[in-house]
Amino acid sequence: MKKNLRKIAMGLGLCIALVACSKDEETIVVPVSAITVKDLAADTVTGLGADGRPQSAGTTTYYSLVDNKIVASSDAASTKWDIAFSSTKILVNCGTSGPGIGGAFVFKGLFDDLKTIPVDSSFATDNSNAASFAIPLGSGRAWYTYDGLTTLVSPIAGRVLVIRTATGKFAKIEILNYYKGGVTLPATASVSDKLFKQRYYTFRYAYQPNGAKTF
Amino acid sequence: MKKTRYLLILLGLFQAVNLSAQTRFVKDTLESNGDSVVVTATRTERKLSNLTVPVTIINAKTIQQNGSLRLTDILKEQTGINLTSGFGAGIQLQGLNPDYTIILINGEPLVGRTAGVLDLNRIALGNIKKIEIVKGPSSSLYGSEAMAGVINIITDASMGAPLTIGLRYGTYNTVDANLETKFQTKNFQYQGFINSYNTDGYSIRPNSNSRVRTPIERYSTTQQIKWNLSSKTNFVLNTRYTNEQIQNEIAVSNNGVTIYSIGKEAIQDLNVSATLNHRFSKKLKTSLRTYTTTYDAVQNLLTINGLPYRDVLNHNFKRIENQTDWDLSKNIQAVFGVGAVLEGVKSSRYDSEKLRKQNDIQYAFTQWEWKPSEQFTLIGGVRFDQNTQFASAYSPKLSMLYKLNSKHQFRFSVGQGFKAPDFRQLFLDFTNAAAGSYSVFGSAQAQQVIARLDVLGQIGNLFPNYYLLKALKPEYSNGLHLTWDWKINARSAVSLQLFRNDIKNLIESQQVGTYITGAQIYSYLNIGRAFTTGFELEGQHKLNANWSLGGGYQYLRTGDKDQIADIKSGTVYTKNSQGYSRLMKLNEYVGLPNTSKHKLQAKINYNSPKGYYLNVRAIYRSKWAVNNNNGNEVFDNGDVFASGYVAINSAAGKSFKNGISVQAGIDNISNYIDAANLPNLPGRTFYTSVKYQLQKNK
Repeated sequence: MKKNLRKIAMGLGLCIALVACSKDEETIVVPVSAITVKDLAADTVTGLGADGRPQSAGTTTYYSLVDNKIVASSDAASTKWDIAFSSTKILVNCGTSGPGIGGAFVFKGLFDDLKTIPVDSSFATDNSNAASFAIPLGSGRAWYTYDGLTTLVSPIAGRVLVIRTATGKFAKIEILNYYKGGVTLPATASVSDKLFKQRYYTFRYAYQPNGAKTF
Repeated sequence: MKKTRYLLILLGLFQAVNLSAQTRFVKDTLESNGDSVVVTATRTERKLSNLTVPVTIINAKTIQQNGSLRLTDILKEQTGINLTSGFGAGIQLQGLNPDYTIILINGEPLVGRTAGVLDLNRIALGNIKKIEIVKGPSSSLYGSEAMAGVINIITDASMGAPLTIGLRYGTYNTVDANLETKFQTKNFQYQGFINSYNTDGYSIRPNSNSRVRTPIERYSTTQQIKWNLSSKTNFVLNTRYTNEQIQNEIAVSNNGVTIYSIGKEAIQDLNVSATLNHRFSKKLKTSLRTYTTTYDAVQNLLTINGLPYRDVLNHNFKRIENQTDWDLSKNIQAVFGVGAVLEGVKSSRYDSEKLRKQNDIQYAFTQWEWKPSEQFTLIGGVRFDQNTQFASAYSPKLSMLYKLNSKHQFRFSVGQGFKAPDFRQLFLDFTNAAAGSYSVFGSAQAQQVIARLDVLGQIGNLFPNYYLLKALKPEYSNGLHLTWDWKINARSAVSLQLFRNDIKNLIESQQVGTYITGAQIYSYLNIGRAFTTGFELEGQHKLNANWSLGGGYQYLRTGDKDQIADIKSGTVYTKNSQGYSRLMKLNEYVGLPNTSKHKLQAKINYNSPKGYYLNVRAIYRSKWAVNNNNGNEVFDNGDVFASGYVAINSAAGKSFKNGISVQAGIDNISNYIDAANLPNLPGRTFYTSVKYQLQKNK
């Protein structure tokens, strides 16, 4: 039965945007909507350096989960943004990244199954000085794996990023894709496609505006 | 075809072949005997039809008529064997990786594996009498590595033509030249063989400056001396030396960074074995074998950003062994053996290039054969290996043969094989400057090294796996084989073999942490449990005196038992095409990477009494998983697969009575290319060869 509910929830989630998820009957809070953000550019590649590394401007894309929109980088030192992206690095508005009271942790399981943030969860914060981030950097750690042979980045199945926003509300995010158009490139894709179509995030999220830890 | 076993069971069937000029010049004891003698399965000479375990024999004639130059050429056309790529060409036997098959030359192991793979292109097939392949664990006789099987290459010690010269030229300027010489006096035999192999290599990857197969100059020589000291005692000395010069142009990628390097690689491989055989009586004989081998590889690269990269591996292996064969009675034969191995490795991938890492092994084995009747044979054996670096290993084996009647016979074997942790898994201390500066540390010192780096503030994160590091145990495999041979009539025979291998304590490299730079740190843990199971079906049919058909099929299922348990417990996820995660179902699981469910091969063979021959061989391999693209570390339907393919090879030739033989062939006629997944399969290649054998004065 649980499985069926999940299927239903997922089926509804497919209906591109802003469709209310079906909820367990005993859930008392107002259901929150799952929102899909497509092709969010995050420090896209400008060329290939002489050292063989992809080159980019080193920018960060700031995003407000509350307003579902990009926040200008001039507002980086504000609590207007909740989460920020720069290539595979994801920041939350806290610690060395921003003035907010944000935080995050990685939940192993399904997006729709995370209905209540477990009581014993602890939210980590960003500390760039110690190379320690709430959403840990690196392949196989938080949300993606990197394959050195195909040079492709794949989101890990069954990972949900649980976010405390800049103002202390809660949200959950599932990264769906890292390539433009929301389709992972085939291993045989050209070097040029692999370079220039990467760093475009497609993700879905649910934001609970009332401050509760339920979705 | 190579499954001569069945052909040979059919007595008389080969008379036509024996009449051919080919075999008249190349005295092939296999075929003239009708029932070949196998040494690998029991470490004693046994007739093929009396063996209790499945054995495949590839004889010299098959090797020659197929136009095979290197060991890989012939092995890839065998049932249940696939070639692997990466660190040279290795073989996968019944779904198990190259590390699990021991490669012997005249019963002595070859060393010099990179990442567990012994590059079988190192082995020239010029003077090979036959290749014996024993499937299933044979560690009870051969020790570590004989877990999936044993491949024993037996050089030609027969006293045929005093001089043989061969020359072959093929696509990519591949030139292979052989010189073989033999002479004998009453008590002394000498045989020498020199092979030179040169190729420009090839690049089947478009727009790539790195060649898939690199330009190689390779020389190898084998010399054999046999000296009969008395009618009961003889002494055999075998030497083999290979020298390879390889030009590298390499591209390595890590974390999106591709680094190009150029340079040279030099490999030398020396094997010397000396054996003293003595027969006390008809019932008791003994042999004292000493063997020493050194594998020395040096790679010097210069990366595009000017960083030098040097890789040195020096592996030596010395062994002394005594084996005594004793026929206790008419029905019972026993084999006893004891031996000691000194093995050492020096490598730039360890903490110091100059320091030799050492492992000493002492072992003893025994095998008992009981043959109460012509119909039934039972063999039991056990071996014990003890060593200085890791836990001792004990490997038992039991096998039997039952001949129901002249048409049906059954073989059953069960045994345990093991593979000791290798030097790399124990001692590696390697940071790859040519690929993003990741590090791999052997388990014997990983904790120590990482703790030291941590003190220096270089460690970013330590993963849970780091705390699980401890002394490695050998990997174990329990193998079960059941074979049914059915000789349908004088023209046809089939055989069905069921197999299952269960492996535990698999040693796998795991990320244990990161540097503060984010570069990965790996080490090795005994974590895996896996299985391979399936069946092999082989058949032979003789159409008439000249034409014959042969074929083989393998069905293979593999799996990681821990992953299967995880899938069953509902903790493995996958993604749908929109990127939404969902639970993975067991029927989506495809098993171990690089394993194919189906492998099929077929061969048509023509041999005329006048010395003409023609063969067409086709190989089909179904798709196999190569990459995980949903980050769940489990291979499922949604992952990246290499496509299934068909390769067709053909060769034709003629042997003349004056000792000259000619051959021409085409490999990969349909020009199938998959640069990423089959780097060892070039496009269509052509070759032609000529050979002259000096006639012996009668």
